[in-house]
Amino acid sequence: MKADRLSGFCWLALGIASIYGSIGLGVGSMQEPGSGFMACLAGGFICLMALVILGQSFLRGVGFQAPLLALWEGVNWRKPLTIGLLILCYILALETIGFLIGSFVLMAVLMKAVEGLSWKNSLLIPALTLAGAYGLFNILLKVNLPKGIFGI
Amino acid sequence: MDFFGNMITGFSVTLQPLNLTFCFLGVFIGTLIGVLPGIGPVGTMAILLPVTYGIPPTTAIIMLAGIYYGAQYGGSTTSILVNIPGEAASVITTLDGYQMALQGRAGPALGIAAFGSFIAGTIGVIGLQLLAPPLVALALRFGPPEYFTLMLLGFVILTYLAQKSMAKALLMAGVGILLGSIGLDMITGLPRFTFGTPELLDGVGIAPLAMGLFGISEILLNVEMKVKQEILTTKVKGIMPSRQDWAESIWPILRGSVAGFFLGILPGGGAVLASFVSYAVEKRLSKSPEKFGKGAIAGVAAPESANNSAAQGAFIPLLTLGIPANVVMAILLGALMIHNIIPGPMMVKEHPDLFWGVIASMYVGNFMLLVLNLPLIGLWVQLLRVPYAILFPLILFICLVGCYVINNSVVDMLLMLFFGVAGYLMRKFQYEPAPLVLAYVLSPMLENALRQSLILSGGSFGIFVTRPISAGCLLMAAVVLISTLLPMIRKKREKILAEAEEEI
Repeated sequence: MKADRLSGFCWLALGIASIYGSIGLGVGSMQEPGSGFMACLAGGFICLMALVILGQSFLRGVGFQAPLLALWEGVNWRKPLTIGLLILCYILALETIGFLIGSFVLMAVLMKAVEGLSWKNSLLIPALTLAGAYGLFNILLKVNLPKGIFGI
Repeated sequence: MDFFGNMITGFSVTLQPLNLTFCFLGVFIGTLIGVLPGIGPVGTMAILLPVTYGIPPTTAIIMLAGIYYGAQYGGSTTSILVNIPGEAASVITTLDGYQMALQGRAGPALGIAAFGSFIAGTIGVIGLQLLAPPLVALALRFGPPEYFTLMLLGFVILTYLAQKSMAKALLMAGVGILLGSIGLDMITGLPRFTFGTPELLDGVGIAPLAMGLFGISEILLNVEMKVKQEILTTKVKGIMPSRQDWAESIWPILRGSVAGFFLGILPGGGAVLASFVSYAVEKRLSKSPEKFGKGAIAGVAAPESANNSAAQGAFIPLLTLGIPANVVMAILLGALMIHNIIPGPMMVKEHPDLFWGVIASMYVGNFMLLVLNLPLIGLWVQLLRVPYAILFPLILFICLVGCYVINNSVVDMLLMLFFGVAGYLMRKFQYEPAPLVLAYVLSPMLENALRQSLILSGGSFGIFVTRPISAGCLLMAAVVLISTLLPMIRKKREKILAEAEEEI
């Protein structure tokens, strides 16, 4: 499927969903607009623009006509995917393993496993960064960062 | 008399040690991120938003403003020395700046960029100081219908200037308005689109949204490509421009400053547009246009001046009307709101220290930048050698920890990741995130203005066409929209955008 067609359908679905949601909230009347009034207008506008994009793509053949897979051709798509998953794991584990250990592991893995830096750099740079961050947030700004089950 | 009185008020605030320190920090960080490709002022300001929680609002805005105009200075260094624009507004500088460097004239190119930026920055601040009070007086006559139509006009101009498709830019604005409606309805108290998540009752935070769309998505896009880092061999010597260089540059600097300032005020305009327009104007006015692109010093002086004065001009709509002209100003608006300060015509009366302090800080900041840029060029060049493999994990870490400390909330971090992935996909599918963020920030104001207008008029949309200012704004918006439908103008717009892309 072509890029603009897929994105157009996705936005159309979002627009319809937001109109449906705003009706549930109460659109109100012109004299007394309700909680869902603006969201309903925004949803309608999104639908309209999505239809314009779809119309341009189907009827006039203009817009971004690249096939879907071509968007990831010639690039290393595994890297952003890996990094995205690593960030998700970090966020979900943060309160359990703590800020210091979690952040150190995340940065070290990114530098060593994803970017292939030397062991020295992969361990030293995260350690120095965390020392600075700990000083700034814990000591200077007195922000409570998660300590995790290890208490550090 | 008022002019000098206001200046004294402003400088008495700016010259306080804390404000001076943060002004320096702002312009220093701004120059730094201007030099480093892969992270722009929007991302940096979003990342540093949490830092501003612990400092007074005036100090926070002085620092954030410094990052913005500092980035315009820093961006020129990489454009000239390694042909890589550190910042979008410096893209056009690569054309002649790098050619000058190849001819052994990197020094004068950097020198004229720094001096031009300083002159333009100062002209911009003077313009801001002179134009702000009358605009404040005018803005006091604005009611909800005028605000609503002015914001609509801003959206239309912003989307008209969108790089790719206008329909896509308008769609992004619609999504931004929808996102801005998440959270408690201020009038009825009903939760909207929170899906039972208490963290969403206050709405989606500006920091997770902006950090995700501009910080995380930028990283995800950069890592999938091989970032080419050229080892710098150009020697920088003789930074002071010669008399001949000055003669060729002074008018481009002055013209660029004035044009940049007014393009900066325009909603949706800003530094990028200003640099392109001023370059095109100089090329057209030049007696030897064939020299442009081959190392003409005017091709460096004009855009570098224009992008700096545009950065100052963009503050006018925010400080006087409370309406951000571009996405950077939208983030500044978010920062002000965090401190319970609502920008607009009343701000100059309610917070004169902040209003005039920020303006005065720009004089001081511009001077600091001149001092930073000329002697420290060697340091900035060294920074270019830091590999992206080291930089991006650090930027990512700052985003993650910065997002967490705002509310000590993992939900905020998940939202940031969500918007990061969404931003990555949006850019892949050629949707620009800037209209989305601008619309998101304006959404509560837009909604309030629309609802109040309809209540005032008893449900009639006629209120927008019967009041002269709002009718004028609507008419201008209609002219812009209709003009894009006319085949001749549409083709011209597409041609200009295509040419700009080719030149990049």
